Amino acid sequence: MTRWSVKILDSLWQYLFQRSTLLSALTVAAMFVLWYFVTATGLANKLFLPAPDAVWNAFVKAVTKGYQGNTLQAHVGISLLRILTAFAAAVLVGIPLGIIMGVSINARALLNPVIEFYRPLPPLGLYTLLVMWLGIGEESKFALLFLAGLPGIIIATTQAIWHIDPLYVRAARGLGASKIDLLWNVYLPAAGPTILAGMRISLGFVYTVLVAAEIVAATAGVGWMIWDAAKFLLSDVVIMGLIVLGLTGVALDMTMRAIGSRLMPWLNVVKK
Amino acid sequence: MKRLLALAAGLALSTAASAAEKPEKVTIGYLNLVNAQLVTKNLGLVAKHMPDVEIEYIKVGGGGDMLRAIAADQIDFGGLGNPPTAIGVARGLPIQGTMVLNMLDFVEAMVVRTDAGIKSFKDLEGKKIAAPFGSTTHYLLLQALADEGIDPAGMDILDLRPNDIAVAWSRGDLDAAWFWEPNLDKAVKDGGNIFMTSGIMEKRGYPTWDVGVVMNEFAEAYPDYVKKFVAAECEGIDYWINNPAETAKIIAEELELSLDDATRMMRGTEMVPCDKQLTAQYIGTSEARGGFVDTLVATSDFLVSQDRLPEAPSRETFEAFLHPEYLEAAVE
Repeated sequence: MTRWSVKILDSLWQYLFQRSTLLSALTVAAMFVLWYFVTATGLANKLFLPAPDAVWNAFVKAVTKGYQGNTLQAHVGISLLRILTAFAAAVLVGIPLGIIMGVSINARALLNPVIEFYRPLPPLGLYTLLVMWLGIGEESKFALLFLAGLPGIIIATTQAIWHIDPLYVRAARGLGASKIDLLWNVYLPAAGPTILAGMRISLGFVYTVLVAAEIVAATAGVGWMIWDAAKFLLSDVVIMGLIVLGLTGVALDMTMRAIGSRLMPWLNVVKK
Repeated sequence: MKRLLALAAGLALSTAASAAEKPEKVTIGYLNLVNAQLVTKNLGLVAKHMPDVEIEYIKVGGGGDMLRAIAADQIDFGGLGNPPTAIGVARGLPIQGTMVLNMLDFVEAMVVRTDAGIKSFKDLEGKKIAAPFGSTTHYLLLQALADEGIDPAGMDILDLRPNDIAVAWSRGDLDAAWFWEPNLDKAVKDGGNIFMTSGIMEKRGYPTWDVGVVMNEFAEAYPDYVKKFVAAECEGIDYWINNPAETAKIIAEELELSLDDATRMMRGTEMVPCDKQLTAQYIGTSEARGGFVDTLVATSDFLVSQDRLPEAPSRETFEAFLHPEYLEAAVE
């Protein structure tokens, strides 16, 4: 074994057995035990809370035979595609807009009313309008997910840029930095951590409207699967779908943090 | 909790005084569609039959919502189409069927866009068709395709609620839709024509109907009040049959429709007088259940074949679900 692989194994070992990981594992285990206990003893009505093995069976069935014409993998794939395209678009639009609004008071005054107005609107109310304007196809679903993700990114970016120490900017200018240099070497590195936090929160918002987006005229997607199964009182499928959705959300968040720490190594100072 | 205490008290006293017990409040979930329940509600007939009880009406959008309201124990009385009923019984919801609220004729229909050139079910190939999944019309659509030997995978069948269908239709997003009034009419007036009705499907052996249900807990605690409720609904049905002009005014008022629309929609719904409901064609009697057991068995078998139900309940389960004794008492 090379020295590097030993080092990686070593740090993985350390991570697995550090106290916070063990405590988190304990929480998950306790929830499972509680779930198993209330269903095994008949405390919970099976119709509302099926036993863990029923949910597992629903999972296996959805993976092998599928649910209403698509395998679980296909449902997850379609939903992730919707989520990721909408989220990517929100990032591509949100970060530049946030930077402009952080730098220019005028731009902020111009754009704020729109963002502040639609941000608190309930997604289902907004969705009816989007369906009228854009139809029942992918466009309206994309628009709803995009609009859910956008404000978090804009607001975080605006705040981050706004709070950059003016000394950095002046020092860079004094050393002859152009506007492009300022953007890449001062604004983005200094605002990076806050923008990343905004992106993580905003991805959460995109997730919360997924079921709403897939209620109208979808025939595939995890959100649609949950909605459809609920109509037929298939609570094992509903709970299985929610767990799958939750796990993909956690995985995406971890990926985003990993990318963040690669791009911004100064974030890696671990707080114990 | 209050209801649980009342039930406990009722059980404790059941030897002597259970008939004297009365509920404090009765909650009725009613479907927002054209049937005699609107007449009963409008004329206050339930209150007339149980004057000493507070009565609350809750409007419920469709079968799926009604199932949720029942599962969450939010209502005492409700109404369900036969597919949601089969789902509820199969999943062990604590409900009993009491009566036929209405038979669905052309108040539910499949509308096709006139310029889409759809002349037969085969022409639906490659088209966009909407129906609220889990409802009577979704069931009939799949059943009609199965009868013609057409694979539903060859078309785009979309799950939309009735008001969303109306919106999507007006945008031109749909080629066909099977749903119900009052929204159905909007699609017909906006470039559509009726291709198939639920009434024609009834003649082909697939009747769809709404059944009145009561929660087990309520029925066990206050059987007399279930009889009173059924008697009130029967009076509403009789009023519908005997006073069509007055009824149209009530329907128009309740659903905010024009009198013409209300009259037409009324003709699309068939009301069955309560004594006729006790015949072999419908619910039947305590001794011998009628043909509606067959409908429920067929519906649940179909849902199993569609993978929407894990397994079909036995015939006996559906016979035990129907309780004609309230209707018998009300007709006497």
